[in-house]
Amino acid sequence: MAGIRLAGLTKAFGASRAVDGVSLDIPDGEFVVLVGPSGCGKTTTLNMIAGLEAPTAGDVYIGGERVTDREPRDRQLGMVFQSLALFPHMSVFDNIAFPLRIRKTPPAEVRARVEAVAETVRVAPLLGKRPATLSGGEAQRVALARTIVMRPRAFLMDEPLSSLDARLRVEMRTELKRLHATLRATFLYVTHDQAEAMTMADRIVVMQYGVVQQVGPPLAIYADPVNHFVAGFFGVPPMNFVAGAFAADAGRLAFRAAGVTIVLDRPAEAVTAHDAVLGVRPEHVRLRDGTGGWTATVSLLEPLGDETIVFLDYGGATSIVATVDPDEKIAVGDRRRFMFDQDKLLFFDGTTGERILR
Amino acid sequence: MPAARRAALSWLEREQVFKWLPFVPVQALLVFLLLPFVLLVYLSLVSWRITRGVWWHAPFVGAANFAGAVQDERFVWAVIRTFGFAAAAVPLELGLGFGLALLCRERFRGRRFYTTLFLLPMMIVPAVVGYDLSMLLIDQGPLNQILSLLAGRPVTVRWISDYRMAKAAIVGADVWQWTSLVFLIVLSGFAGLPPDPIRAARAMGASRWQIFRYVELPLLKPVLAIALVLRSMEALKIFDYPVLLTEGGPGNSTETIAVYLWRVGWDFTRVSDAAAMSLILMVVVVMYTVIAIHILRRERRQLAEEAAR
Amino acid sequence: MKRRWLVAFVRHAILLAWTAVTLIPVYWMLNTSFKHSGEWVTWPPHWFPEQPTLENYAQVLTPGSTIFELGRQTLKVLKPLWDSLFTATASALVAVALGSALAYSWARFGTGGKNYPYSVLTIRMLPPIVIAVPFLVYYVSLHLLDTYAGLILVYIATSLPYVIWMMLAFIEDVPSELESAARVMGASRFRVLSSVVLPLTVSGLVATFLFVFILNWSELLLALTLTNTQVSTIPITLNKFQSVNEGRDYGPQAAIGAIATLPVVALGFLIQKHLVKGFSFGLLRK
Repeated sequence: MAGIRLAGLTKAFGASRAVDGVSLDIPDGEFVVLVGPSGCGKTTTLNMIAGLEAPTAGDVYIGGERVTDREPRDRQLGMVFQSLALFPHMSVFDNIAFPLRIRKTPPAEVRARVEAVAETVRVAPLLGKRPATLSGGEAQRVALARTIVMRPRAFLMDEPLSSLDARLRVEMRTELKRLHATLRATFLYVTHDQAEAMTMADRIVVMQYGVVQQVGPPLAIYADPVNHFVAGFFGVPPMNFVAGAFAADAGRLAFRAAGVTIVLDRPAEAVTAHDAVLGVRPEHVRLRDGTGGWTATVSLLEPLGDETIVFLDYGGATSIVATVDPDEKIAVGDRRRFMFDQDKLLFFDGTTGERILR
Repeated sequence: MPAARRAALSWLEREQVFKWLPFVPVQALLVFLLLPFVLLVYLSLVSWRITRGVWWHAPFVGAANFAGAVQDERFVWAVIRTFGFAAAAVPLELGLGFGLALLCRERFRGRRFYTTLFLLPMMIVPAVVGYDLSMLLIDQGPLNQILSLLAGRPVTVRWISDYRMAKAAIVGADVWQWTSLVFLIVLSGFAGLPPDPIRAARAMGASRWQIFRYVELPLLKPVLAIALVLRSMEALKIFDYPVLLTEGGPGNSTETIAVYLWRVGWDFTRVSDAAAMSLILMVVVVMYTVIAIHILRRERRQLAEEAAR
Repeated sequence: MKRRWLVAFVRHAILLAWTAVTLIPVYWMLNTSFKHSGEWVTWPPHWFPEQPTLENYAQVLTPGSTIFELGRQTLKVLKPLWDSLFTATASALVAVALGSALAYSWARFGTGGKNYPYSVLTIRMLPPIVIAVPFLVYYVSLHLLDTYAGLILVYIATSLPYVIWMMLAFIEDVPSELESAARVMGASRFRVLSSVVLPLTVSGLVATFLFVFILNWSELLLALTLTNTQVSTIPITLNKFQSVNEGRDYGPQAAIGAIATLPVVALGFLIQKHLVKGFSFGLLRK
């Protein structure tokens, strides 16, 4: 068991940088999820840690040792791939035994260890089968077993759940978390699915354009994103963004956009940036009767059962999305008033996208 | 010395070393086989015959051999004739192969029988094909017998001794053997057609002909391109059939480039003349190859882009 | 209903016609190979041997070497069969080993540049007659003329383009994640090749081997140029027979044709499915 440290890890392909100076310290036993849209460099980062790709610059440390120049086989890491990468020409037993046989483990020990691991991930009855005959969930477990059996210093996972259907994916999330609790090993998990990141991670690393945008526990990232991108990446339905500008309003700072003006409890000098974007999560948009707030027309309803998503046309470029109680009496075409929870408002610089007024 | 062995192995493992491993012997072989080309150029610039001393003492004659080759009517005619054979055989092979594949693309009773049987000719040694046809085509042979039966009167075509019919026989041999290859390629092209665009076209109300013309045919283009490139390349090399079927005759009427060069070099031992002609031929082929490779690369790139989408 | 019958009728009529075109030459060769000399040329030709005989096969398969006498010859093919078998097998083995390693290296690392396989292809596009002339001189100087090694070296080179392109199609079918997985689990690159890549491409390797074998088994021109008496493959033997013997020994020749053809046809049908890949240059949709 070991932690992983990355120091200025960079991978350039020609002029473009797939990974650009990623530094990260993952203590032993932590479950870290590397998340970002496709092409953000997260898989390349993982491959460099595993030794499958050589970094252009920077170093990888495992358990304090520099391993940058080592072959993958000398790094003792366990890796689960997006396609699972089960060997189609070997039985499940041989698949799980493969890493042990490579290390010339005595046959008796191979058998004992494979059977023990098969028991823990519940694939014992499948040992004689071929991978092609397994269901998605079974194949998933076999891939995990094959990784666990070699007792790696850390686990790397590259979107391992993406081939599963939606329900199984949710089940496997729980199982992976339980596995992490049992093994107490370092997990570095790569995904583009923000829900996987939120539910499983001890800490989330958000990447975009090969650069780490923010590192932190899931709820901190959700509530306190550092920029426009991170704010928009987490949450379903996603955060509402309203483009506008700051202006002074009787000595206080005001945000003005088409159809919406918000006077803030701050002095006018608090901000120099003129153009800005307001961000507010759907659960912080309140529908209300009577006076106050702004009026809007309900243009679309998406009932989900536990809540209902409401699209409000208020005169801006896009609709404001709100989530409301499913029992709320509401119909398309209704004229309603809405307000934002003032203390939950986030503002981003209109040009750089950086958070302002934190 | 396990330590030394381990070190050697781990050196071989490094990507920069490992990836070049197969290139060393292959490039060595290619260099070994490239030297004769230098020799070819040298031989084409001197005047040497196998029967006349050692080649490095032969006198330098400059471009005389090339001038001789261009003025050699027999060479010029062999070139024209070879292209003529290709121009006659390749379209026939493409047409027949495509037509037969079209008839065999859907399931019906007996399909397996036909598709297996039609592949037979391409597996036969070409020299055997040439020889085999020489038996069929003799004046009192089975082909004339069949034709007599079909015509209802005695037919005696002099397939091998008539200069026009001999040409037809050479083209026929090529068509007989290689239609099977075009058939195989097109048939697998049909099998690889993606079903969704065709279903979409049908849903949009396209007729069978329209689907074929505007959906299937464009999708088959890479496969047809490969068949065309492959066959026209091979047709320019025709050697086995004339040698075994007609021996280039009657007269020189079925003498292809390969046959004539063979005669100049071996039968007449005029090696330098043969070398000059070989170089001229090489220039022609290289131009053709550049076009062929361009087509291949374009089609492969398009397919890769399609797959990426 | 009527239309469907008509379509089926026309379809089968055309296909049967081509079946006849395909089969008659092959049948005629077998037919002649079982005939006594008196039946080789008759009018009307005999479609069945009246007195079937194995003497043609017996003659060509007796040990000894071909004897050319005035106007007649007795042909023996055991030595040519061995020569063909040996050169075709040896060249196919080496070409498959080198070519598939090269194809792997190119597919995974892009070694040699984007255009490498295309440039190798030019070897195949060059008419063999072009290299025949200088090779004669070259091989005489190197004492490789009329030797197994000389012919095999050239066959390896001319087979490489097909091996590379055919194996590319099979290697590209192996997901590279399988190899990454094996490497992370501790396998060396050589172990990855033997435990993962090799088992997954074995059918391709066999098909490619057989294909190249057939190619070299059938080759005439280069064999004619580079070998003569010490080494003499089946196609050359057939050619010698044809050009020396104006009287035409149809029977024994047909027997040689059958002997040269049948094993190859059998192999060809075995790899029928994979044959397309070899000719497709990666241009087939999956």
